[in-house]
Amino acid sequence: MQIDLQKKHLELKCFFEPDGVAVIGASPHPEKLGYQVVRNLVEGGSFSLPHLKGFAGNIFPINPQAKEILGLKCYPSVKEVPKNVDLVIICIPSKFVPQAIRECAEKKVKGITVITAGFGEAGEEGKKLQNEFLSIAKKSGIRIVGPNCLGTFYTPAYLNASFGPFLPLPGKTTFISQSGALVDSVVDWSVKEKYGFSAVVSYGNKSDLDAPDFIAWAANDKHTKAIALYIEGLNDGRYFLEVAKIVTPIKPIVALKAGKTAAGTKAAGSHTGSLAGSYQIYKGAFKQSGVIMAETLTQMFDMAKALAFQPPAKGNRIAIVTNGGGNGVMTADYCEEMGIELPPPSKEIIERLDKSGKMHPAWSRGNPLDIVGDAGPDRYKIALEAVISSDIYDGVIVIQTLQTTTHTVEDAQLVVELQNKYKKPVVGAFMGGPFTEPGVKYLEEHGIPNYNDVDRAAKAMWSLIEYGSHLKKKGKL
Amino acid sequence: MKREHILTQIENFKKREEKFLTEPICEEILSSYNIPTPPAYLAKTREEAVKLAEKIDFPVVLKVVSNQIIHKSDAGGVIIGVKNEEEAAKAFDKILENASAYNPKAEIEGIYVQKMAPPGREVIIGSVKDAQFGPVVMFGLGGIFVEILKDVVFRVAPINKDEAYEMIYEIKGLPILKGVRGEKSIDFDSLSETLASISQLVVDFPQIAQLDINPIRVYPKKLYAVDARIILE
Repeated sequence: MQIDLQKKHLELKCFFEPDGVAVIGASPHPEKLGYQVVRNLVEGGSFSLPHLKGFAGNIFPINPQAKEILGLKCYPSVKEVPKNVDLVIICIPSKFVPQAIRECAEKKVKGITVITAGFGEAGEEGKKLQNEFLSIAKKSGIRIVGPNCLGTFYTPAYLNASFGPFLPLPGKTTFISQSGALVDSVVDWSVKEKYGFSAVVSYGNKSDLDAPDFIAWAANDKHTKAIALYIEGLNDGRYFLEVAKIVTPIKPIVALKAGKTAAGTKAAGSHTGSLAGSYQIYKGAFKQSGVIMAETLTQMFDMAKALAFQPPAKGNRIAIVTNGGGNGVMTADYCEEMGIELPPPSKEIIERLDKSGKMHPAWSRGNPLDIVGDAGPDRYKIALEAVISSDIYDGVIVIQTLQTTTHTVEDAQLVVELQNKYKKPVVGAFMGGPFTEPGVKYLEEHGIPNYNDVDRAAKAMWSLIEYGSHLKKKGKL
Repeated sequence: MKREHILTQIENFKKREEKFLTEPICEEILSSYNIPTPPAYLAKTREEAVKLAEKIDFPVVLKVVSNQIIHKSDAGGVIIGVKNEEEAAKAFDKILENASAYNPKAEIEGIYVQKMAPPGREVIIGSVKDAQFGPVVMFGLGGIFVEILKDVVFRVAPINKDEAYEMIYEIKGLPILKGVRGEKSIDFDSLSETLASISQLVVDFPQIAQLDINPIRVYPKKLYAVDARIILE
């Protein structure tokens, strides 16, 4: 199978950077879905948030009865729109969808997002309708997202082509989700966490486009640095495998597979049959294509953040710098569990720090480098620089607990400065609440992923090691 | 065994609406993919069994071959550690007796006389067809522990030798294969080659729905596929 990523990207571009969007089923009534979809396009969301802005391209509400919606002129049919329409969002009852798609075909639309539910997931009648509209779309070369989905979000274009709540903050991760409800929650959560996305896709029934198609699109999206994926199943596992194999050497993919207990393939008669759960097989497929598997949502977004912000680690030898003993010991435990090596500092490093005159006499002289609770930014700086510049370490986890002498922003500044200088992966665990927040904010705004717990920081570092080892195997690092 | 020959065999089983290939056929198929199996022959009579056992050299194992008896051990259809001619003759009779008690209607094709593979570390290689990924291969620690420890790893077939190597290295029980307390390491090279060959076999023959080689005995040098089961679609 030969997959042309550039061609795929262009084919799906209409869902992210369309030249003209029409909404079939647009409504002037604020309580209707067809109103919210138009509002999402015009204002970026159905909630008021400072980061929201509307889509700058042309928006055409389609409704034969209404004259105007949110100040936009309505058209009775997509065929009547005088300008180009790349993307159509459909939110009318399922039985009218095939006819609407016929009209889209006449208009030479490129992509259609079918938000409407009641197709493949809703019995024979629904399946028949789905097949009907698919065959029309296929004949005209129109690609379909959905049905039974939210749609697509693309923050660089301020495009909220969905019925999700609002555009997330801009960022470097593309989140591709089979579940729409999950996207709703994640988008809201991400605002609180200041977690940004380049794109978010909810693709529902995957009647046409499936996860691998969006992965292929994201591979060539210049705003996307990491891909996070939530899947329950795939239309074609081998297509996924082929796409993932060519994308992972370019961009990291982190995936969460739901349905751990699902019987999947379980077939009687052989030992293998009794052991072959669908989850186990996915795990193998992920491994062989270089996809990093997450066990939980938090873990998936934690790893995606690290992979989007930091360079991959060239090896698995990590230094832990901490001003708190307990936090350091816990980090070491988690690291060891995951096979991360924690080599002790070399004689040179110990001497250099001892001679600096900045260290507390009781500093650990081991890894974790416990630089003691009263450590100020100057001590953080020499300790961090000693390890990050040393070729016995491939990356650093920097922990900061809030002590009376802690200067969280200065600490954050020097972490950023040293990471930029030495280009090795650094993950932060500045742990605390409102008084640690300014440091965390500085870190994250400057590309250092921070986690409020050390197990999360350790796992994030593990993902950088895992991805680095995959790239090495592919001759890319 | 050439591809055409394997296909004919499979077709024959299909014509008879039988899903389970018998052990001699399974081993023929494995041999054609260069997977070593212990020397073995099918005996039709007691005398033949004794003669073949001598030819193979003791100790041997005798196994019932019948399409109606899938779980040979449950039927008392396997006798291991047969050390001489007298025991071979006795084992032959005993297996026939057990088999007819287990399933009086079973058609017995014969008794498989197989060289006892020397003890070694046991692994399992298997394959199933996944609804989304098609044929997949499984590797893990084998023998009686497989279903308790479930220390197994999957890949979508086919895989090459390097990928097979990596897969073997993923199991938790790896130190057992590497050898503990002065024990020598197993032959990882032969094992990964076998794993890659099996992954090719199940891609070459989509008629195969499930495959189990359990156990494969692995030695510091070489290995033997001791027991194989192939189930057709």
